[in-house]
Amino acid sequence: MRDFIFKRIAAIIIPFICIYGFYVILHGASAAGGSFAGGIILGLAAIVFSTIYGLKKGKKKFPEKVLFCIESYGTLFYGIIGMIGIINGAPFLANKLAGIDLGIPGTLTSGGLIGLLGLGVGIRVANTLLILFFTMEGADS
Amino acid sequence: MISAITTNLPIFVIIIPLFIAFILPTFSRRMKLVEGVVISTETLWLLGAGYLASVVLLQNGTPIIYNMGGWAAPWGIELKVDSLGAFFMIVVTCINLPVALFAKGNLTKEVGAKERVTRFYVLLLLLGGAMVGMALTNDLFNVFVLVEVATLSCCGLVSANSNPRASEAAFKYLILATLGSTFVLGGIGFILNITGYLNMGFAHQEMVQVWQNSPHAIWLAMSFVLIGFGVKSALFPVHVWLPDAHSNAPTPASAILSGLAVKGYIICFLKFMYTVFGQNLMQQFNMHKILVLAGMIAIIAGSLFALTQNELKRRLAYSTVAQIGYLFLGLGLMNTKGLTGTLFYLFSHALIKSSLFLAAGTMIAATGKKKISDLAGVGRKMPITMGVFTIGILGLIGIPLFSGFVGKWYLLLGSLESGNILAAIVIIVGSVLCAAYLLPIIRIAYFEPAPEKDLRDPALPQKIALIMLAAGVIILGILPGSILELASRAAAELLMIQ
Amino acid sequence: MKILLEKLIVNYPYTIAVFLFAIGALIVITKSNLFKKLIGINIMESAIFLMFISSGNIRGAVEPVLNSAHSDLAYINPLPSALMLTGIVVSVSVTAFALALIIRLYKSYGTVDALKIAEMRNEVTKE
Repeated sequence: MRDFIFKRIAAIIIPFICIYGFYVILHGASAAGGSFAGGIILGLAAIVFSTIYGLKKGKKKFPEKVLFCIESYGTLFYGIIGMIGIINGAPFLANKLAGIDLGIPGTLTSGGLIGLLGLGVGIRVANTLLILFFTMEGADS
Repeated sequence: MISAITTNLPIFVIIIPLFIAFILPTFSRRMKLVEGVVISTETLWLLGAGYLASVVLLQNGTPIIYNMGGWAAPWGIELKVDSLGAFFMIVVTCINLPVALFAKGNLTKEVGAKERVTRFYVLLLLLGGAMVGMALTNDLFNVFVLVEVATLSCCGLVSANSNPRASEAAFKYLILATLGSTFVLGGIGFILNITGYLNMGFAHQEMVQVWQNSPHAIWLAMSFVLIGFGVKSALFPVHVWLPDAHSNAPTPASAILSGLAVKGYIICFLKFMYTVFGQNLMQQFNMHKILVLAGMIAIIAGSLFALTQNELKRRLAYSTVAQIGYLFLGLGLMNTKGLTGTLFYLFSHALIKSSLFLAAGTMIAATGKKKISDLAGVGRKMPITMGVFTIGILGLIGIPLFSGFVGKWYLLLGSLESGNILAAIVIIVGSVLCAAYLLPIIRIAYFEPAPEKDLRDPALPQKIALIMLAAGVIILGILPGSILELASRAAAELLMIQ
Repeated sequence: MKILLEKLIVNYPYTIAVFLFAIGALIVITKSNLFKKLIGINIMESAIFLMFISSGNIRGAVEPVLNSAHSDLAYINPLPSALMLTGIVVSVSVTAFALALIIRLYKSYGTVDALKIAEMRNEVTKE
């Protein structure tokens, strides 16, 4: 897929796909959507990049080491966010009980810790999708 | 600080192993560090579980309730450490520690490179965390998710061996287990549609009031749950995946699969049947008769299949099918003694079967042959391994002073109390058949001429692991004490729910 | 009979779910191709997802997002949909793992047919 037209169009579209993915992730707390859906969109953007520009370039852009680190520490991030509740004397994964100011309902920060959790989960989902793609794609060679 | 840890212990015992599992791959090159982290996690885990169990025991049965995120029961997810949960938590941690110790420095031959060994430990911890979660959670959908985590880690453990037969067994297991979890999810869907709750306690209260409106839906939900967990825990007619999967996995994996994994699904099934549907509904739909019948068939058929096997690991795997029959038989007896017997037998079988598989794996690795007839004279060359194997066999048959006897005794008392003479006869016949297929191994190992080959007992960590498990079998047989009390209290609590 | 038929048609999502479940189970049991088995499992799971989601749906209701324009309308139940999101993730991971296993099997046996693989394995053990 080393077509000039493909590459140009991808170069224009991929930033918008990424912005859309982050939009869906961040608004998961206050509207429809969320980290799974947004993460899939982000992952698909990366997959589109590596199909059109070639697997080699894709693997250079997203090195395996970084992917595996995100795989491990993304999960730990979830645990650390959950621990904020315990440190503040509330149960695991507490949000308002842990003393987080939730602000006005309907705005971006009204989810409290859910926004942060969603960001972590979304990046983790995108990362997992990419790892699956690289593993399956590299398997037949 | 300490009070923060103790009040949050119910969630820590679930998430700490899971998170440790996820960080392990980042330092997979330093094998010693990985093994040290895994073993210290398992030890701390055992201590935490023991603390929770002792608190539950001292509170005389008042469960510890933990609300995730501070949301109370019908809205939030609730963790409930009752006697049953505490009991199974002890089982999981008691088996996981020796198995992790056995795997120390011993896996590269069977599994391969360092990274693959680390992945093995990751799956081991994930499986353990999911099992503890299944025991503690009080939410139906959580059960499904944790069951899936456990299933995927089990399949990963089976396929950790690099030979193609292991992949084939893992694929078979994966397809059948996913079939089972689809049925479980369907059952949960029916319960949600009938009652509108996912919390087990609230679902039960609603179910008791509305079941007459839709008896067919309840019957469907019950059968879906039975089929789902039956496939996963290898109840007789749907056990086909078990012998392949358990005999092709690496040794520590087959110990943990045969000893623990199938038990977790039985605990889930127990929770579904007794705390969601309740014993009245079970009797209404004759579920208890089905369970007793299925258990009896599994005992006889599993033992007969085991008699015909020539490979050591396959014979042990079919023996697991037979012992699963005992557990299901006890579930259907509907009295305190029968349920106590089931729970205690679950613990004792977990200890015995893991020690048997570990010892068998050691012998197979030393001799390099899989057949039982190739074990001639091993007993004199490898005294500790074969000694542990012998203790395991005696416990499985149910000789007094070994743990299997206590469990079988209670099952026998329970079946006599419920007036089911046939079940009592089947329990005894099952013991006789068990002796018939396991005692020849002892005869071959001790009384036949030894080969010229140089055989030796394994290294120190493996010896410690084997001796820990064997000691557990003997201690539970002589002084069942507080474990038996925890089991009987769990049985009484389950039977109090109408 | 007429009432039964009417019930089946009015509750058409459930009827479709039952059919899909049966089709999936049939594929898993009867086909020997590993990919087809996997697709059968996926169809079965979709049937369960359909059952869950249609049980949360209310005809004529809106999505459960705070919105002053629709304040008089009923909300659909978001719980089953949220649960099924997790269910989909689980089914994706199962599919990915099964595909990886199929690749490994294909590399060592050269076929994706379960019966042929069993035959080849038996020949190896006989030797």
